[in-house]
Amino acid sequence: MSSSDQSLLVSSHGARQSTNGCPRSPRAMVIDRAWRALGPGVEPLSGPGGAPLTRTVKLILLPLVVRPTLRPALGADLLGPAEASWLDALVREAGERLRATAQWFTLLKKVRRALDIATGNPQDLYFQRCFELATEHGAPGDDAERLAQGVLLEVVEQAGGRTVEALKDYLCHQGRHARVGRELIAAWAHRDLDLTTEMDSVVSLAAEVLDECGDPDAIDKGPAAFTSMVDGEFGGVFGRVLWAVPSGVWGGNDLPSHLSLTAHPMPPRPEVGRAASTAELPAPLDRTLFERLFVVLRASTWREDLPTVPDLVQREVGRSCSPLGLRDESLRVAALLGARLAVGLDPLGSGHTALGQTAAHRTINHRWRRESSVLKARRMTTAADPDGGALATIAMDLQRPWVAYMRRLWVRLHGRDVREAPLHDLASAWAVLDGVVRSVMMDHRARVRAALRALATAPAHAAEARSA
Amino acid sequence: MMEVDIIRTGYGTIQVAGASARRGPCFTRAVLDVAGGLLTWPRVDDEMGLPVAEIDDVHDAQQWLSALYGERVSIACATVDREGLRVPAEETTLARDAARLAFGHWAARWWPASYMDQIPALDADLLGAELAALAYQCQQLFDPYNDGVTELIEEHQAGIDRLMHWHGGASASAARSIETVLRLIDDAADNMGLDTPPLRRLRSAIHRSFQPCSDLSGALNTPSARYGDYALAAAGPPAATSRVIARGTGINDWPRYPPGLVDAAEDAISWVARAVGARRQIEISAVAGAAAAWAVPLVAEVRVDGGAPSRVPLARRDDVWAGLADLAMPPTGQAPIEVTVLLPGFDPGPGGGDSPDDDPNNDDPNDGDPHSDGPNKRDLSGDSDNGDSDNGGPDDSAPDDGGRADRDAIRALTRRRLSGADDGAVRPFLAEIAASQNG
Repeated sequence: MSSSDQSLLVSSHGARQSTNGCPRSPRAMVIDRAWRALGPGVEPLSGPGGAPLTRTVKLILLPLVVRPTLRPALGADLLGPAEASWLDALVREAGERLRATAQWFTLLKKVRRALDIATGNPQDLYFQRCFELATEHGAPGDDAERLAQGVLLEVVEQAGGRTVEALKDYLCHQGRHARVGRELIAAWAHRDLDLTTEMDSVVSLAAEVLDECGDPDAIDKGPAAFTSMVDGEFGGVFGRVLWAVPSGVWGGNDLPSHLSLTAHPMPPRPEVGRAASTAELPAPLDRTLFERLFVVLRASTWREDLPTVPDLVQREVGRSCSPLGLRDESLRVAALLGARLAVGLDPLGSGHTALGQTAAHRTINHRWRRESSVLKARRMTTAADPDGGALATIAMDLQRPWVAYMRRLWVRLHGRDVREAPLHDLASAWAVLDGVVRSVMMDHRARVRAALRALATAPAHAAEARSA
Repeated sequence: MMEVDIIRTGYGTIQVAGASARRGPCFTRAVLDVAGGLLTWPRVDDEMGLPVAEIDDVHDAQQWLSALYGERVSIACATVDREGLRVPAEETTLARDAARLAFGHWAARWWPASYMDQIPALDADLLGAELAALAYQCQQLFDPYNDGVTELIEEHQAGIDRLMHWHGGASASAARSIETVLRLIDDAADNMGLDTPPLRRLRSAIHRSFQPCSDLSGALNTPSARYGDYALAAAGPPAATSRVIARGTGINDWPRYPPGLVDAAEDAISWVARAVGARRQIEISAVAGAAAAWAVPLVAEVRVDGGAPSRVPLARRDDVWAGLADLAMPPTGQAPIEVTVLLPGFDPGPGGGDSPDDDPNNDDPNDGDPHSDGPNKRDLSGDSDNGDSDNGGPDDSAPDDGGRADRDAIRALTRRRLSGADDGAVRPFLAEIAASQNG
């Protein structure tokens, strides 16, 4: 039973009672108590206050010790007494192994420093490895340094050649570059341009689905609509509309159909490319094949799950000539839902948006107004003032929020497509759509911070020039 | 033990709120982004008390709910419906640390440093380094991929060296606090794989158990050393033929410019109107704040007799921002003049374009259309050219109002803290101790 199922069940039965009348405890607290009861020896995995580090919980305790996927009863946010003591016992039984894990972690950090390895977060990179080492070898013994070195080098090499350099080398080869170019031309020419479904009905269907989002309780009830959108390939319809209809999709206004996914009226045929600059990437659908893969390879988090470079390139040829530059239909539907969400974003609280608002919009726009209040409290405001310079440029981008939103969303969906991680239901699609809003807000904050810093450090002669 | 109300709002969020202080203007609020939601302290004061939580993702928030508010609040959040619940909250260690962290972030942006009021500035790197340590101390609150610790350490590394420097010459109690902060930073950096020269120096200092180094002097910038002579109306000698027709003090509306640019004193902004032949001129000067910023295009906004505001560019000379402009005066020659200082592109409007009514939670969608709420809708887009008719009109901004009481409360709070006499709930930051020793 999922956590939300549990809370739904008890919401009508009062705060402290579960369905069978027993008092329940927050799982986080049960974990915290069990952890502290382990006593000394786990400090390297604990925070300063003695609670487990949040990464210890997320990377070790939950997936490797508690394992709610195997024991769904332990997956809820609140546990009954039986589940609580079960969880407590699991942590206690793992005590020896957790202490050994902590020792391995300390050793790995030491050896890492000696080997001069400085990239990545050691907790992300080694926590699970340390648990594996503890499971296999117990506490570090005579052979520990050698084992630790082996693990460290293995992690370094895990990229398995799936790097930007490897991509560059692969596409540098003249004949190969030309062949991929020819394949792109052919794939682009053979696109399915058939448009039989009405985009209007697809857009209103997207709005209906978005009306199910934004409320954690409602979202579990409306999965059928999402599935039917995937089955109806409505995401693909949206993608083909972008190839044929430059505007008019989003009501009677001048918004382009593609919502700035391209700088052109319609997405152009992708080029092969052989270089990319992080600072100035073009709009998503204008990116070269190289640039698309560059973004994926630069984010190292999922590297293990990626195909090898020749395979990556081969698949990207087909992908980049598919509707929306995505192959998986659930991801295309997410792009469609995201686009419908994007045209109703209202970070400035103007009350005027291209199309009507759904429950999802109300949730997101409410959060955006809260963010505006947070930015005031953080003294990080911007205003679209004609004399406002860089800060005003940032403020003006908030008047076209769909640009940043679609860019961020597309990159995330493309990343999922490359590592073959479709979205199975509305709840997970919503998690992506919602998460992108957060990223856009964080991007805004980072830009404001940078602009304020630049102002403070600008050379004095600029002021003289101005007053002259 | 304090009771909190927990309610599910119409926006899919859950709100946890005690009977805390009324929400103050933006420069009195402390906020903290936490996993799955936002914590707000509606008004900074000696006690801080429990924050208001707005939770977007209750599953994520469960990682801190019980540690921050206690078990019963955590359970209530997992089960609450639209009816709401009232349960007792505990006073936890995490709540105390979180309040201090939020206060520190607030101080980094709004500390009312003033040469005129003799409120010394805080050393941003000392404060930032301690906030990094404190954020790590509060790690349970944060999404591990967005806890702010790495950024704080990287941005304020200079503070690490200063703290090590200070340690040798510090009083026993300050030395203990410094050591705690430094050990937390070292621990955090070690766990996150950060490795830079200051962090390496810290690591070796910890290995030799902090052998005494030289004292604090020279390691800190003392704001008092920077100020030279300045006169309040220092924009050059008046022309021989001019005569003063009016002079006054402007409104120092903190939210309208970034931190540190203008001295935070109430009378830091002053103006003189002169008659030069048939022309009328206004000369504005604003005492500069502690930030060593010279090229910021600050302007003064001048409003005569409640008319449309006009802007006068200010340029920095030594420790004063000064500007001069012709003034359109009514023929009588007598008219009220209002002056304030702002940064175009930053300025959110008078008073931060923000009032307590501007609370995003004041308009629940179930009470009607969420987009037909109050008059104050400008938020991020404060367009100062439109005047401030939606803020109650110019008559409200008399010099003794315009947020003065709130600013005075903040000045009093910082004075109490610097005097060290008061023992508020938020233990002093090392940057405050350093400032009161040097200030």
